[in-house]
Amino acid sequence: MVLLSKRSISIEPLSRKKSIARGVWITISISALSILLATILALLAALGRLSKFPPFYAICTFYVSLIRGTPLYLQIFFFFLALPQVGIILPGLWAGVLALGLNYGAYMSEIFRAGLSSVGKGQREAALAIGMTPGQTMSRIVIPQALRFAIPPTGNEFIAMLKDSALVSATGFVHELMWRATKVGRAQFHNLEALITAAVFYWVMTLVFSYFQGRLEARMSRGER
Amino acid sequence: MLPIIKITNLDKFFGRLQVLKKISLEIYPQEVVCIIGRSGAGKSTLLRCINYLEEPSCGDIEVDGVCISAGKKGKDLRELIHELRLRSGMVFQEFNLFPHMTVLENVMEGPVTVKKMDKASAVKIAEMNLERVGMIIKKDEYPNRISGGQKQRVAIARALAMEPKVMLFDEPTSALDPELIGEVLTVMKSLAREGTTMLVVTHEMEFACDVASRVIVIHDGELVEQGAPADLLNHPQNVHTQALLERYRAGKSPQVEA
Ligand SMILES: Nc1ncnc2c1ncn2[C@@H]1O[C@H](COP(=O)(O)OP(=O)(O)O)[C@@H](O)[C@H]1O
Ligand SMILES: [Mg+2]
Repeated sequence: MVLLSKRSISIEPLSRKKSIARGVWITISISALSILLATILALLAALGRLSKFPPFYAICTFYVSLIRGTPLYLQIFFFFLALPQVGIILPGLWAGVLALGLNYGAYMSEIFRAGLSSVGKGQREAALAIGMTPGQTMSRIVIPQALRFAIPPTGNEFIAMLKDSALVSATGFVHELMWRATKVGRAQFHNLEALITAAVFYWVMTLVFSYFQGRLEARMSRGER
Repeated sequence: MLPIIKITNLDKFFGRLQVLKKISLEIYPQEVVCIIGRSGAGKSTLLRCINYLEEPSCGDIEVDGVCISAGKKGKDLRELIHELRLRSGMVFQEFNLFPHMTVLENVMEGPVTVKKMDKASAVKIAEMNLERVGMIIKKDEYPNRISGGQKQRVAIARALAMEPKVMLFDEPTSALDPELIGEVLTVMKSLAREGTTMLVVTHEMEFACDVASRVIVIHDGELVEQGAPADLLNHPQNVHTQALLERYRAGKSPQVEA
């Protein structure tokens, strides 16, 4: 067993780092795809919860309530273990993205809802008064302002996501950063080094991302208020 | 001559509260009509019914030949409302400029999004209208970087860019610091001189006196008196008009009293 692992994951320190580094890339991919899915779901759910169309409102409220009322850990296993039982087998990465995206979408819908409500009634009326349709008013006037409001907290969600993506390693199907760190550590009896390496990678990723988040916010704040 | 705006027997209820009572009113081309009345009288509601930001409970609204009778429903109504809104330009007390767009983009938004005009033509129209209100030098600024008076002038340009048949102003200077009121009134005066048809809710009696062709008094949702400014302001017949003018003369804002 140990030998097998040793063969598949090389002993040299350089390769160990390489293996972990490949995990970084997978972690970033999972996080980026998940946050994209989450953003779309969050916007839909926020629109739904502000909607006067009862079925849309009901579905969105149910989604948010269900996701917020159950552990993320359970949701992840649901996609990896429960769905295959009924014949739905998703590739590991996509199951992880779906689970994380759905989960974060529910939480982020609150951010978007606040963003949408932050756009005053006067903005809508000014748009309608120049002849814009309700749809144009939404897409040209309300949503851009809501997004601007929502970007800083969304950045925080992304950072949280980088770290929460480690949870999908628990399923053993997605070989992202955390999974690799524990595997390498166990294979080489260097848990301390492997975990510290992983920690450094996580930390650096969040630092780099925070930097870009700051720049984006500065850019977005043009014409604030 | 056909009226640009023709309001017939307009009623508006908010729940059980009747805010407008059987208002009938005609505005003719090139007229500048000022609406006065104390706060809560229903002046804003009247203006907002004209472009269906509020839906009338009863009565007809006609702007430049497009007529909507209260109670109309369905897809037809949506198209008619759109037609109605294209014919009037609205200027709000709170400016309501789009904060995420530059001054120029604010004015281009209508032509581009609503009229599907190409960018170059829209820029041309926007710049021409910014010129009219004296705001061309600030065209690349964002709204948070200009003063209230400048914002209101941009808002006027934004409405003008749609080439409406009539401009509706709802207390355009009420949110402004006193020293900024003048520049907005100056722009409005120049529009009046150019022959723009205007319906203006205002507490600026001097403006009404100098510029209006007609003054209308609204009290508790009723049109109680109207006439040429010289007659109406100097010889008010209705008791409510008299009381209102008395308050102005005493230098009190009628807004304090709800
Ligand atoms: N959306 C609304 N819902 C309920 N009541 C309203 C609404 N808008 C205005 N009103 C009421 O209608 C009356 C007239 O308001 P408004 O037209 O704004 O008056 P004015 O512009 O003359 O000050 C006021 O009593 C106000 O409280
Ligand atoms: Mg008002």
